[in-house]
Amino acid sequence: MKRTPVDSSNISSIGYDEESNTLEVEFHSGAVYQYFDVPLNVYQGIIEASSKGQYLAQHIKGYYRFVKV
Amino acid sequence: MQNKSTYLGTIQDVNGTTVSVTLANESLSGLTYVNGEGYRIGQIGSFVKIPIGYIDLFGIVTQVGASAVPENQVQNQPYGNRWLTIQLVGEGQRNGKFERGISQYPTIGDEVHLVSESDLKRIYGQPDKPYFVKVGHIAGAESISALVDVNKLVTRHSAVVGTTGSGKSTTVAGILSALSDSKNYPSARIIILDIHGEYGQAFRGKANIFKVNANKDSKGQEKELCIPYWALNFNELTQVCFGDFSTEKEKEKSALIERVLAQKEKTLFTYPRKGVIKETLSVDSPIPFSLNQLWFELWNETFFTFYSDKGKRPLKENWAYEQDEDGNKLIGDATTATPPRFKPVKNVKEDEEKIQYGPSTLNIRGQLETLGSKLRIPRYDFLFHPGKFTPELDGNVESDLDSLLKEWIGSDKPITILDLSGVPIDILNTIVGVLLRVLYEALFWSRRLSQGGRHRPLLVVMEEAHNYLNDNFKGIASSVVQRIVKEGRKYGIGAMIVSQRPSEINSTILSQCGTFFAMRLANATDRGHISAALPDNLDGLTNMLPILRTGEAIIVGESVKLPMRTIIEAPPKDRRPDSQDPIVFDETPTEDSLQPGGWGIPMESNPNYEEILEVWRAQNPFPARIIKEKK
Repeated sequence: MKRTPVDSSNISSIGYDEESNTLEVEFHSGAVYQYFDVPLNVYQGIIEASSKGQYLAQHIKGYYRFVKV
Repeated sequence: MQNKSTYLGTIQDVNGTTVSVTLANESLSGLTYVNGEGYRIGQIGSFVKIPIGYIDLFGIVTQVGASAVPENQVQNQPYGNRWLTIQLVGEGQRNGKFERGISQYPTIGDEVHLVSESDLKRIYGQPDKPYFVKVGHIAGAESISALVDVNKLVTRHSAVVGTTGSGKSTTVAGILSALSDSKNYPSARIIILDIHGEYGQAFRGKANIFKVNANKDSKGQEKELCIPYWALNFNELTQVCFGDFSTEKEKEKSALIERVLAQKEKTLFTYPRKGVIKETLSVDSPIPFSLNQLWFELWNETFFTFYSDKGKRPLKENWAYEQDEDGNKLIGDATTATPPRFKPVKNVKEDEEKIQYGPSTLNIRGQLETLGSKLRIPRYDFLFHPGKFTPELDGNVESDLDSLLKEWIGSDKPITILDLSGVPIDILNTIVGVLLRVLYEALFWSRRLSQGGRHRPLLVVMEEAHNYLNDNFKGIASSVVQRIVKEGRKYGIGAMIVSQRPSEINSTILSQCGTFFAMRLANATDRGHISAALPDNLDGLTNMLPILRTGEAIIVGESVKLPMRTIIEAPPKDRRPDSQDPIVFDETPTEDSLQPGGWGIPMESNPNYEEILEVWRAQNPFPARIIKEKK
């Protein structure tokens, strides 16, 4: 999946696959996680959010299941 | 004295290498200044020097205070309890090089001086020689690099020990990344037995990864780990096939030897190979042969029954096969390791048909059943069906061992990671044993070749060694590693043994390690084991082990000039082994946290346990749902 670099305190890049609604997040530690069944509007939300880390914490963590890839 | 400020005290007693010193009255404050730098007096583990004539003796402070007072002096203390005990370690010419061992003893009245940073530089500081590798810096003296002699480190073996969380893996990664630096060592050769799959991340780009049940989707980063059974010698082969052969079964054993030899001969006849002819072939020669075929023949001979009525003889045409519903004889299949089915013995008066057991004298029914099941279950495929190295029934193989060795130790990358994280613990010992065995044998015989062990030594890093080098296992791993540590030095195979539980490692193996990287080690049994194995007699140093900081190690042994307390230089964050403990509750607030989980985050409302079952069944931690790179 292609990820776009973002400016954030903890996330270094974010990608999204529209076909499968999969959100991919790379943290500054280098670890990459895929969140499954994330709707497109949530992806747009995190991309547009001024604080990506905060958006991730409030709208994604604890709502969608994830896997470390 | 030319430098009075370094003066510590005077020698009162010399007993072997142990020296007792009274501290001078002037140095009351416990702090002294040399060339503007402050030094604490009487720090355990710090160095002192004793100038005698043209040379300086060096020692390490091992005891300070009341218990350092010699017994007969307790009543009669001129200076209170201001005593030091020192262990002598070596000597140096004035402003010359430092050497291990001492040529003369100090005596009563000799002065003891503090070792300043410039002295330390003299002891430790090495000119910029490429055979010294920098693993960190001396604790308390950041400007002094901790240098380790590569020659001795590799061939004289080493051990990295420390409690979980003391920074072992990071230390190993630090050392290995220094050793695999392609500028200094363009043909470094390192194999890591990676029990937990931690190092792939740390050495990506520098290493080839082989794994049992490799992740096929990793775009070729992971290759399948195969260890062909026919590369083993006879004893090891029987051990992995049948378990332990009891000593009473000498007859069965020699019969098996002949069978294996006959199979290998057959292969050699059809597919001749360089280096071995019929006359020089032995049962231990690494010649492919079909174990399935051997097993099938033995099974037939051992289990067959035959029609014995009308004086029939036990020839193959008289064998009493069972039949399936369509009347086909169940003759079994060697390729799939399906055994034939024979009719039970029958001897009824009225019935003309008589069935007898075949006249087999080999008592190996149990063993054959064990081997049959091992040939059938996929868990042993890495050994019994090793991919392109699997012999056909006539002994033909697609690839020979040379391509295996080339992949493991002859590739363009300095490091090979053998990722054993997918291996069930009960066969771990076998795997480690057989793969080390293949490497040892190859490097032993190729000792005169440019790619052999003598001219391109190999360093084998054994992670979590207590799992397979345990005294309690009469396993094959322990015996192979004993051989490597005893003889590997001459043939260019060095071992680096990494463990958090040194007391469980076979003591022969541990005692052969020339260099120790001892990290924090709290358990008294483990510590005792280490101090017994240490090449230097320095009790004071091992007493320091429980209070070392994370990432700090005492390096002792042949590859360092002097024992040194070192802060190991950790590789950059994204190049560290992936052995971090799971976070239960992340201390950083969630919006800054690099962790997606933990107890502090509510769990998803509809957790998916089907995927948990999926990955368990697939024996592959990556569910199919993961989106892969689009091609």
